[in-house]
Amino acid sequence: MTNEWLLLFPEKVRALLQRLPLPLLTVVEEIRIREGRPLEINYSGKYHFLTEKGALTLSPEEAYKPDREDSHRLLDLISNHSLYTMEEELRKGFITIPGGHRIGLAGRTVLSSGGVEHLRDITGFNVRIARAVPGAADEILPYLLDRNRKRVLHTLILSPPQHGKTTLLRDLARQISSGKRGSRDSNRPGLKVGIVDERSEIAGSRRGIPTFDVGPRTDILDGCPKAEGMMMMIRSLSPDVLVADEIGRPEDAEALTEALHAGISVLATAHGKEVSDLIRRPGLGGLLEHKMFERYVILHRSEAGSSFQVLDNQNRRLAISPGEKMGGDAYA
Amino acid sequence: MLKMFGAVLIVLAGTLAGLQRARQYADRPRQIRSLIAALQRLETEIKYGFTPLPDALRKIGAQARGPVQQMFVTAADEMSPPNNRSAKEAIEQAMEIHGSNTALKAPEKEIIRQLSCTLGTSDRSNQTTHITLALQQLNQEELAARDDQGKYEKMSKSLGLLLGVLIVILIF
Repeated sequence: MTNEWLLLFPEKVRALLQRLPLPLLTVVEEIRIREGRPLEINYSGKYHFLTEKGALTLSPEEAYKPDREDSHRLLDLISNHSLYTMEEELRKGFITIPGGHRIGLAGRTVLSSGGVEHLRDITGFNVRIARAVPGAADEILPYLLDRNRKRVLHTLILSPPQHGKTTLLRDLARQISSGKRGSRDSNRPGLKVGIVDERSEIAGSRRGIPTFDVGPRTDILDGCPKAEGMMMMIRSLSPDVLVADEIGRPEDAEALTEALHAGISVLATAHGKEVSDLIRRPGLGGLLEHKMFERYVILHRSEAGSSFQVLDNQNRRLAISPGEKMGGDAYA
Repeated sequence: MLKMFGAVLIVLAGTLAGLQRARQYADRPRQIRSLIAALQRLETEIKYGFTPLPDALRKIGAQARGPVQQMFVTAADEMSPPNNRSAKEAIEQAMEIHGSNTALKAPEKEIIRQLSCTLGTSDRSNQTTHITLALQQLNQEELAARDDQGKYEKMSKSLGLLLGVLIVILIF
């Protein structure tokens, strides 16, 4: 696995990160840079600060504190020296760079007629490293297939942020599109998959070409708003399976309803811990009440590792990952 | 005979030096003009094309001619990986490398340097404002350069020849 994402950091920070042991470097999930405050890395549910010598520490006092120069250089590099091309991204508060890595931004907002117009004085960065984990969907995919009618069931993947929703979605798309299920070489035909990749995270497209393997029969609408993108997909690209990340707004739900009724299987993700959390959310409540989704996958991750459970639309539990059975988890 | 040959050489050298100086006066307004044209294109690229700065500079470099073109291409290269310099550093570096090959003088270099500080660091309307300001200043410089050209171009030519002749007379 290459760590090409290191190149996006200014020299000083990059030098620190390069001193990390390689096994750690390959599991780092988030790198947080806050001007004048400790440099932080997050990995497998844990966090550490980095000292000036590149060692891990938990004490903020010993940590290296990125200065103004560092944050300016970082912003310069991630915007490709062209902040003016990022106006829409700044309004949303994040930039996705080639490779699918997403960088959340914190700074001072500039308002215009009540809405966020621009972000200035950007001093906080949360770099989320995107990684493809081929095989992440191996255990889950069998529960999402309707063997008789040879289709994929409408599925909603649920978890709090940072629990592997997008990674799972990416691998599901790959396996469904290629027809390969897990490690076994089955002779199932692949299905046409359409990905509406609003944040360029699923496929990590670079100039329209996915940098992650999302399967041979996959079309990607890169950077397209989900609601509009789903409609465009349905009308023009005739997918068998429609994939969308992080649905939540009312217009997303509307487009999803359209797709569900158009005979297209939908795979989507949403932030949440339980199915009951979602019913209360204005956008998705309706979809759930009408039992539009046939499967719910709930991801959970702790320091011990990740686990999942699969529910059907009657809230009956179909599957639990081994970790979940053993661990005394919050799900009762 | 040898003396004659030496005298001719001196006069020739004086004339050539004069011509060289005259060409500088003639080149400067032309190069400022091409700089102005380049910045106008940059403005369009930023305002309507949303083109990232390195790509925009490279495009402009391909269209411009002469030393000004090389300056833009070098700046774009300095900005891209693996150099990854900031816009300001990259443009300064490019001016340092190619500055002596151009007829540009301190005032217009200073205008470009000032522009490089803000290039790429703000939203489109802000960028446009800065470029427009630089364009205005460059236009002024162009007028001044044309003035100088009118005043000194011919004079430099004759002065070179005359200086050569003067030295010859003094020696003999």
